[in-house]
Amino acid sequence: MKRAWQITCLAFVALAVFTLVLSFEYPYMDRLGPGPGFFPFWLSLITGALSLALFFHTTLAKRVGYGSGTLLPDRLGALRIMIILVGLVGGLVIFETLGFRITLLLFLFFLPLALGVRNWWLTLIIATAGSFGVFHVFYYWLKLPLPIGVFGI
Amino acid sequence: MEAFQYWLQGFSVATLPANLMFAFIGCVLGTLIGVLPGLGPAAGTAILIPITFNLDPIGAIIMLSAIYYGAMYGGTITSVLVNVPGEAASVITCLDGFQMAKQGRAGPALGIAAIGSFIGGTFATFALMVVSLPLATFALRFGPPEVFALLVVGLSLVTGLSGRSLLAALIMTFFGIMLAMIGMDPVRGAPRFTFGIAPLYDGVGFVPVVMGLFGVGEILVSMEKPVLEIIKTKLTDLLPNRKEWKVSTGAIGRGTIIGFFLGLIPGIGAIIPTFVAYVVEKKVSKHPEKFGTGVIEGVASPETANNSYANGAMIPLLTLGIPGSPTLAVIMGAFIIHGLTPGPFLFKERPDVVWGLIASLYLGNIMLLILNLPLVGFWAKLLEIRYQYLYPGILLFCILGAYSLNQSVFDVGVMVAFGVLGYIFRKLDWPLAPTILALILGPMMERALRTSLEISGGDMSILITRPISAILLIVAAIVLISPAVRGVAKRAGKD
Amino acid sequence: MKRKFFFGLAVVSMAALVVSAYAADYPTKPITLMIPYAAGGSTDVGGRIVAAIAEKMIGQPIVVVNKAGAGGQIGWTELARQKPDGYYIGYINLPHILTTVLDPERKAIFKAEDIVPIISQALDPTTVSVRPDSPWKTLKDLIDDAKKKPGQIPAGIVGYLQDDEIGYLQLAEAAGAEMRKVYFDSAAPAITALLGGHVEVLFCTVGDNYTQWKAGRIRMLTIMDKERAKFYPDLPTTAEVGYPTVLSASTRGIAAPKGVPEPIMKKLQEVFKKAMMTKDHVEKLEAAGQPVKILVGEDFVKYYWESYKVAKKWVEYVRGK
Repeated sequence: MKRAWQITCLAFVALAVFTLVLSFEYPYMDRLGPGPGFFPFWLSLITGALSLALFFHTTLAKRVGYGSGTLLPDRLGALRIMIILVGLVGGLVIFETLGFRITLLLFLFFLPLALGVRNWWLTLIIATAGSFGVFHVFYYWLKLPLPIGVFGI
Repeated sequence: MEAFQYWLQGFSVATLPANLMFAFIGCVLGTLIGVLPGLGPAAGTAILIPITFNLDPIGAIIMLSAIYYGAMYGGTITSVLVNVPGEAASVITCLDGFQMAKQGRAGPALGIAAIGSFIGGTFATFALMVVSLPLATFALRFGPPEVFALLVVGLSLVTGLSGRSLLAALIMTFFGIMLAMIGMDPVRGAPRFTFGIAPLYDGVGFVPVVMGLFGVGEILVSMEKPVLEIIKTKLTDLLPNRKEWKVSTGAIGRGTIIGFFLGLIPGIGAIIPTFVAYVVEKKVSKHPEKFGTGVIEGVASPETANNSYANGAMIPLLTLGIPGSPTLAVIMGAFIIHGLTPGPFLFKERPDVVWGLIASLYLGNIMLLILNLPLVGFWAKLLEIRYQYLYPGILLFCILGAYSLNQSVFDVGVMVAFGVLGYIFRKLDWPLAPTILALILGPMMERALRTSLEISGGDMSILITRPISAILLIVAAIVLISPAVRGVAKRAGKD
Repeated sequence: MKRKFFFGLAVVSMAALVVSAYAADYPTKPITLMIPYAAGGSTDVGGRIVAAIAEKMIGQPIVVVNKAGAGGQIGWTELARQKPDGYYIGYINLPHILTTVLDPERKAIFKAEDIVPIISQALDPTTVSVRPDSPWKTLKDLIDDAKKKPGQIPAGIVGYLQDDEIGYLQLAEAAGAEMRKVYFDSAAPAITALLGGHVEVLFCTVGDNYTQWKAGRIRMLTIMDKERAKFYPDLPTTAEVGYPTVLSASTRGIAAPKGVPEPIMKKLQEVFKKAMMTKDHVEKLEAAGQPVKILVGEDFVKYYWESYKVAKKWVEYVRGK
């Protein structure tokens, strides 16, 4: 965990430097005072300083007060997390092309199965109710625009 | 005694069967909307305005107001059950509410939230009747410099949320402010850090970020070791126990006052009252270190504050015609569409509307309580659905909520990305709340500061020469310095 | 030669038949009406009112969608890139959309030609507002005071490089008086600031301050329009107080992305004109403090490009500094 904290601190330092460099593109002062570049400049400096401070504190401190366990999960846990992420990202990609109903139908059908559910029929029913049912309530009753895909669904 | 007559008249209007029904429908719809992550009360109320077109003005306003505070409570339900705040006002409730749910105490959490909301809302409504105009006029003295100073106080309270590491909390706070810099510069309109991506012109969007960090992040964390034995909540466990009642009383009292007075200041937004109430509660508590692990005061306090705020914010709307928040702007729009003009004029011209509304707010608070207490059992049972269905189901609503904001897949993408970040920070045990807070307060602060400088013609001293802002800045300084001072004193005491 | 001619004629007539058949069927599914501002504001209120009336006339639901942000830029960027099939239309505000396009700092990715105006709904002139207890009883009082202390009087302005700022700039130029500009991105905080004493004078429109005026919390010095306002019959126009060239208003109307077939545009113009001329619509809009002004088709397009010229002048004036 100590290693993880150190890496995160350095990541923030990098972010701070990146922001600092970008902030030079915006005017620092304005007709009346601080311009768009003012806040980003100071913020990146402060964030960089704080991150460095925490980095050194973590590196040099003797007691380990950073919580138990490791940053990365065990094999099974990592697998489950990946399944969810793949589901989410996949859903994102097809969302506007295939429309809300089809995307969520696939999402609600495959995720539970991938996570270990055995009852195909129940899952299918729930997936249909979730995707088509929710769509109906929100699109037709509440008039909330939701994407309709290339198949007109 | 004139007020009392009006009050009676108001009740006679509010208790008309039709109006009671509208209030009830509003409460139900509002709760449902609030329960949906992402679909905040503002959007939800706007969507439902057309339904009210066919109603008479009083009925319409009653229904819309019921939707408004119903939505406040609905947001609490998701915060407690799945760590996804329905909207800004419910973010703080996640901190202890969700922890309580994990320990099988979702019932007491929701219960105390309902009761605290009721008490806070009722008090605010009562105060609305009695002291509206003079208070609202005083609150007008809060101009941009005062608002800036108040926001600085708000941010300084982050020290109360630090948990494991103060430095980490500060870094997360500044991370939030930096995120807030993305998008159009609030004063000049020039885009910053947008890299030409059009959806970023308006910033990363508070709702997708919070749904990602809190909700999706939490789901990812749970995926590591999903609770395979279902958390069973006994019916007897649905209400707070005696000890919990005792501690909550003080929290409710403090939350009510804080929420109400902050509600008078237009433009503050719902997160500040909840946040201030929480941190104040933590500071006066005998066991501050337990906050964040599931203490009931951590739920009672912000929940009471946010309902007391919601009702208190009605005051500037009804007395001065100034909407204090986006949702109230929608309600004001509804007033206007129905031909009513909020303001003292309305008090004189249509006392039946104003007092009818006020009486209806009372009844609405009672209705919410009656509606929600029995439902607590239902909501708690929902948690018992097996995780393979429950979590994808929750994600379904998160996707719906994130998409509904701007009909943009980009927002959903932001939510997922921040979900991953939320997972990482949770594993590191770095606090997430400061980032959310900063994301909201950051732009408000920048705007307030720059407007203040425009008023003074570039002179920074405006912040200290005006009494209210000067006092607030001193408070902020005290809050910021005190942990350091206490640390030094402790070490000095040890030697 | 003849064969080619008849062939061409046949193709053109077929195309016309198809297009008009297409238009005769239009609309076959719900139409999206995009509002580039947050729910509850004047544009949103006006949009929802007309949508509710028009959808009954057009036979399909008109779904109102809010795409707020960047002072309207987000919504208009979205509008410009939509398919010109008549199923996605949106509100535009003049001169806001024009200054957005013209201002190099806004980095707008669409151009003025990418949007075609359909019909206007309201023309909301800028007013100069003060508190009832303000020492200035007429516009002349304010101007004289401003000349005595140039750049000192805090003057609130709603929106950046929008109608209210253009109104202020015109007045400042014509009167030779400078005030201290304080910007607000929407009306509510601006009004709050005026009422609370944080600014001394406010440049905002009738729609912005009508509710406050009715409540007696705001008084106005002048209105920047050619004729007196129906809502404020006692309020002198800028011409009446000596500044006839100072004219500024926020005009709200509906537009479509470039390229919508003519028959569909005609249908939209007809339906919305009918909807806007109903008593219900006019009453509801006036109750909201919005002066109805209906310019259809070509008239609105002409107005659009005239406003473009005015906007161009002032953007260059401000950014040139």
